[in-house]
Amino acid sequence: MAERYDLAIVGGGPAGQAAALALQGHGLAVAVIDEQPHPGGQILRQPPREFGVTGWMGGKVYAALRRQLGQFEALSGLDWLGGRSVLGLSRSSDASFVLTLSGRSGVETLRARRVLLATGCQDLAVPLPGWTLPGVYAAGGIQAFVKSQQIVPGKRIVLAGTHPLQLLIADQIVAAGASVSAVMFAQSRQAMARLLAESPLVAARQASALLPAGAAMARLRRRGVPVRFGESLLGIVGGERVEGVRSSAGETACDAVGLCYGFVPQSALPRMAGAGMRAAGPAGGWAAECDAWQRTSVAGLYAAGETTGVAGAAAAQCAGRIAGAGIALDLGLLAPGAAERRVAGVRRAHAKHLKFAALLDRIADPTGHFPVMAPSTIVCRCEAVRLADLVSCLDGRSANAVKLASRCGMGPCQGRNCEPTLLRLLGDRADPGFSARFPARPVMLGDLAAPE
Amino acid sequence: MRKADVLIVGGGLVGCATAWHLARGGAQVTLLEAGDIGMGASGQNAGSLHFQLERRFLENGEALAEQAARTAALSRLAIDDWRGLEAELGADLHVVMDGGLMVAETAEQVGVLERKIARENAEGLATRLLDGDEARAIAPYLSAGILAAGFSGDEGHADARAVTRAFAEAAAHAGAILRMRSPVTSARRLDRGFEIACADETLQGDRLVIACGAWTAQICARLNLHMPLFPVALLMNATERTAKGLRHLVQHVGRRLSMKQTHAGNILIGGGWPARLAQAPDGTFDPRRRPEMIAASLAGNMRAAIDTAPFVAKLNLIRSWTGVTAISADQLPIVGEVPSMPGCWVAGGGSAFTLGPTFARLMAQAMGGRAAPELDIVSPARFEHLNSFMG
Repeated sequence: MAERYDLAIVGGGPAGQAAALALQGHGLAVAVIDEQPHPGGQILRQPPREFGVTGWMGGKVYAALRRQLGQFEALSGLDWLGGRSVLGLSRSSDASFVLTLSGRSGVETLRARRVLLATGCQDLAVPLPGWTLPGVYAAGGIQAFVKSQQIVPGKRIVLAGTHPLQLLIADQIVAAGASVSAVMFAQSRQAMARLLAESPLVAARQASALLPAGAAMARLRRRGVPVRFGESLLGIVGGERVEGVRSSAGETACDAVGLCYGFVPQSALPRMAGAGMRAAGPAGGWAAECDAWQRTSVAGLYAAGETTGVAGAAAAQCAGRIAGAGIALDLGLLAPGAAERRVAGVRRAHAKHLKFAALLDRIADPTGHFPVMAPSTIVCRCEAVRLADLVSCLDGRSANAVKLASRCGMGPCQGRNCEPTLLRLLGDRADPGFSARFPARPVMLGDLAAPE
Repeated sequence: MRKADVLIVGGGLVGCATAWHLARGGAQVTLLEAGDIGMGASGQNAGSLHFQLERRFLENGEALAEQAARTAALSRLAIDDWRGLEAELGADLHVVMDGGLMVAETAEQVGVLERKIARENAEGLATRLLDGDEARAIAPYLSAGILAAGFSGDEGHADARAVTRAFAEAAAHAGAILRMRSPVTSARRLDRGFEIACADETLQGDRLVIACGAWTAQICARLNLHMPLFPVALLMNATERTAKGLRHLVQHVGRRLSMKQTHAGNILIGGGWPARLAQAPDGTFDPRRRPEMIAASLAGNMRAAIDTAPFVAKLNLIRSWTGVTAISADQLPIVGEVPSMPGCWVAGGGSAFTLGPTFARLMAQAMGGRAAPELDIVSPARFEHLNSFMG
């Protein structure tokens, strides 16, 4: 690791890789930072090399991503800084950026003239009665276990929510040898079909994106996995751990639950840097605002992929390539015409993916389908703040004021999980949410202290 | 046009506490707050109850130390006020007054402590000097490098977030009107009294209290009044929750450090490390925007904390934040009626968590006609020369 880079890319997933590949050959000093030891992002979360996994992520769905990952891993001349979290991002006096990283070797600081944030997204946390029982997961968490650890954290799993991704996850769970007790969609099948029918062209053009969900559904049916629609989750039941779920259709026994109501951008870093943000989508959260070259409102700071709105890996790849060209343009390495020519096709593909993402957003929209919380339901897990504790504070105050009054969002996750729920409860669309604070991840005091 | 006996600008600790005292004394009070209650320094500070002379008064010459020592009378009142506050407000404010230690690591710092304690004792504050072993006997978490500590049995901490809220609720209960999200758009002096406007209402009052922290000077300027209060940005830090082990307020006589464990178990670490104030496009300071953290402040603050109480090195930092307060031209608070503008009261300039409840009580007392000579030392009268050309 050097002290200074021309470009620091935060995130080694599809967008970050695409940007690094787009910038190869320009002689830039580039660092790519990721919390995982190996590149891939959540979508291609790699198992440890020691596992010697063969045939990993073999499906056709992942072919293009695997190809890009191979190219990225073959890149020479960039510093892969895996296993490190970015705790803070700020401007230094010489107009470059200072990134504070923490990893196994403690806290490190690096400077970069430009920064690309490609930090991806996370599962939307959805509080409901029983959701803090051991055995309840974000559906994406179960998928991460399956992909990178080759284990399924349960034997009989229920997936519930509104997002069609849960079909793919159920399929992967079954393929990994566990059983899925049910996949429950809160919305009706007709409502989903109607939305598809309203956008036949978008749907037809993106048949390749829809087919895997359809194929997964067919496989699940063949294996006797019930896929049910219009079934709302009422609560998760169990003593010491999950024993079943209660839904509008009755009780279903299971030993693990995956909640799949949608995804929200990882927004801590752009917010900390003061970049302009917008409400991300129906699932909630905040997305970094970008121009046509993926520039944020902060000079020198770029964003691509799910950080700018959850739109899937293919859109993230396109945005990463556009960001790469934009950075080359801004550094004077590409003339405007050349930069535009380089991404003309990518822009067309990007627009197509974004249209499909918008359709998927409508189909997966959790609005109106969130489970009803009980007064005792914990909203903020870090600080054990219950819905009843919050209700007395919701008198027109800002999210920051509710945080001060209730401790909601004051814990180690800095509100990453509870903020969308609190903002839904506040119902004030103009509220910008919690102020983003250093550090984006908890860090040991001893690692931060000045030398003795 | 609505009329009130007293208009208060600023919904922080002092504004809300003053509203409470006045309202329960029968006055008609309206308070205007630009944002939400307690969102400025009152909600951002770390809740120290400190009665030993502050380090900042000890490192800037004997004259200042001498002058600051004379605020000890206010500290003595504040100790009694804090001991009775939870009962009086009927609220759980997590007030802990188990004592506070101001530690020294060098012989020179021990000398400063000795002189400080002599001054405090002369002013009637019961502080005493402990040697390193005595300090560690009551505070086993202290490092072996601590040579001595000033001890005050009354120091401690309270939940800053809860205190201002409790004052606000008590004020509203007593009949005060608290208007949130109502930034002042104009302020002027009338032949008798004052007129203050916010977006949707204009109010008149016989008296005006300006207690809005870093914004106090700006509101005073609307009345054609100079008030030498300057915004400063400070860094605070919170660790993850941990088992109760740090009972005292811990400060350092030679380094910037203040440390305590909250009711919830987090250890709050601060002590006056600077952050960088945001600037408006015209180059002036903009206290509304979040100040920027300074990396060296964070590293220095953590080092001072670890050198004083080594066990904190293994704890996780979960949040650092910056907040804006104001200091006066001579570092002492500015509290009282402005001599050249009778009826206009100001309260600002730091130490207003520890001394805030007392400032509020004394101001209300003086407005009620009973003199509060304890406020003379902090009266804005000492800056009247700045207003001799303001008319």
